[in-house]
Amino acid sequence: MGWRLPLRSLWRNRRRTALSLAVIALGTAVSIFVLGFLENSRLQIQDSTVQQYGNLQVASPLLWDDTAEDYEYLISPSDADHVTALLAADATYRGSTRQLQFSGLLGANAQTQAIAVTAIEPANGVLDFAGLAVDGRGLIPSDTASAFVGRSLAKRLSLAVGDVVTMTLATVDGAYNASPFRIVGIYRYSNEQFESQVVFVPLAFGQRLLNTSGVDRLVVALDAVASTEPARSRLVAGLANYGFPLEARTWDELSPFYKQLASYFDALFGFLTLAISVLVFFIILQVLTLAFLERTREIGTLRALGATQGGVFRQFFAESAWLAGLGSLIGAVAGSLLVVAFNSAGILWTPPGTIDPFVLASRVGPSAALPVAVSVVATLLSALYPSTRASRLRVVDALRVD
Amino acid sequence: MGSQSQFCHVRGNRFLDAQHLTKTYRVGGETVYALRDVTWSALQGDFVVINGPSGSGKTTFLNLISVIDRPSSGEVFIEGEPTSAKSEGQLAHLRKTKIGLVFQSFNLIPVLSTEENVEYPLLLQKRPRPERAARVEAMLREVGLTDFARRRPNELSGGQRQRVAIARALVTGPMIVLADEPTANLDSKTGETVMDLMRRLNEEHCVTFIVVTHDPAVSRYARRRVRIHDGQLEEGEPDGVATPAS
Ligand SMILES: Nc1ncnc2c1ncn2[C@@H]1O[C@H](COP(=O)(O)OP(=O)(O)OP(=O)(O)O)[C@@H](O)[C@H]1O
Ligand SMILES: [Mg+2]
Repeated sequence: MGWRLPLRSLWRNRRRTALSLAVIALGTAVSIFVLGFLENSRLQIQDSTVQQYGNLQVASPLLWDDTAEDYEYLISPSDADHVTALLAADATYRGSTRQLQFSGLLGANAQTQAIAVTAIEPANGVLDFAGLAVDGRGLIPSDTASAFVGRSLAKRLSLAVGDVVTMTLATVDGAYNASPFRIVGIYRYSNEQFESQVVFVPLAFGQRLLNTSGVDRLVVALDAVASTEPARSRLVAGLANYGFPLEARTWDELSPFYKQLASYFDALFGFLTLAISVLVFFIILQVLTLAFLERTREIGTLRALGATQGGVFRQFFAESAWLAGLGSLIGAVAGSLLVVAFNSAGILWTPPGTIDPFVLASRVGPSAALPVAVSVVATLLSALYPSTRASRLRVVDALRVD
Repeated sequence: MGSQSQFCHVRGNRFLDAQHLTKTYRVGGETVYALRDVTWSALQGDFVVINGPSGSGKTTFLNLISVIDRPSSGEVFIEGEPTSAKSEGQLAHLRKTKIGLVFQSFNLIPVLSTEENVEYPLLLQKRPRPERAARVEAMLREVGLTDFARRRPNELSGGQRQRVAIARALVTGPMIVLADEPTANLDSKTGETVMDLMRRLNEEHCVTFIVVTHDPAVSRYARRRVRIHDGQLEEGEPDGVATPAS
């Protein structure tokens, strides 16, 4: 009977059809909204993670293994130059900078505090943290014995811009070293722990303190997040060619937090989608079972006129397919409108452990196809049983029903 | 489809044969005989009226010979072919191509218009659109419902609905039309119109009609009368053949 009978049958009980459509559409819309919200949050966190780590970092495997004794993982200047040259040949390469991290003790105002020193190339344009300054300034190329410290650390030790403090540490050879330096700026960061521990110093100063000409990693910026994996593969191939025992890690490998968060979001969305589709499944199952039951005699008539069981099944299933298609389409539109409305409300939120609030937002992308597909599948699955039952009715019994 | 009775040259062919039909139901542990060992055949062009008291097995018999139900034992032959071994799909095909059904309460599809209801069996037969349109139009003209082609069943009177049902039963050109109490839901005047129509179609198209009824007025139309009593069938003499109204 093609599309005519199924569509007209849907039209026959408009209230029930509207209810079914509303259930499917609501499920789809909520699912689209939540997916968009999680996706948007993940992207924001992805951006800040890439800002913190760069797209890629190149270092000796020993650095990341935590198995290194002393500083055997350091990369010599000539090796670092080779890597930079290799990187520069890549079309997606936007820049790189070298870092050297070590720990030390900071003494000031008769107090001592363990710190994590990150020696960076000042104003390197890739990852120099200067934009985080809340007092004074970030590091600049003319800086020598200078430091850029976190707000929490400054507060704890009562430090101010212009103060001169002392750093004590062990050099790469294990010798004791100490040096005074001047605080040129105070930064703030979204992470409290980071703020209270990490002290930035110019790379040359850090190398002098540690008595080395090496660096422990290269931080690489690429044109886009999506370029990360391909660029890494090319880089790894290039490194192998040169015979460097160096490893390249991507931003998401470097941030354990991001990975956990992404899989948590996936689980959250998976659970929600499952709950919604189970709900849609049972409601539509109930509605269709009732609707088909009411038409028992009609089914008997169709079969008596020569419609096959398959034909009856197809007709009823087609009816559900219309429901599924229309419902999820309405849901997709409603979900998109919900996203637009929510985003225009501009709700601010400060996550625990962070300092700056950010705008809560959702988004609609190609991934919205997933909730739509899930709704369609849930509806069609719920139609399977009533449609099968309708098609299996014994003709005489069906005809006897009033 | 022929249009005059003299074209009914095949009249008398055995189209339908029922051999030793028995139908039992189990009701609360007991076996109820709805039909006992009925052997009977219909000839092409027949106009058979089946009478009998309520619960005697008339509907049961009609269901068996229209192959919408299967006997407990015995065999129904359609055009000489046994049907008991056929699959549901094959039986559906038989109904679709050879048998027309008319029901007591019309059983039109409420969401379809008059012409769409009549078209439905042709759609099942996958007939091309122009042929469907032509046949539906001819059939509606025949039952006098051309002006009601676009109406839905709930916008028609009972008699009109039954005429739609008759058009639907005949549109595929079946060999036989089975009608269970086709006039029971109609007043006597309308019932007569419907019966006149059936008789005329029987005459003109050489279609076998088997009509179950309680109504003595309907029995007048019989060319052949059959009585079912207590699940058993006996042939009776027709009251006299009424001529279709002109
Ligand atoms: N599904 C069933 N289960 C049990 N018994 C049945 C069933 N169908 C019919 N019967 C019984 O079979 C017998 C014949 O029923 P049938 O419907 O053929 O009678 P009928 O002659 O058509 O009666 P009426 O004139 O009232 O329509 C009755 O006794 C009825 O109760
Ligand atoms: Mg009956």
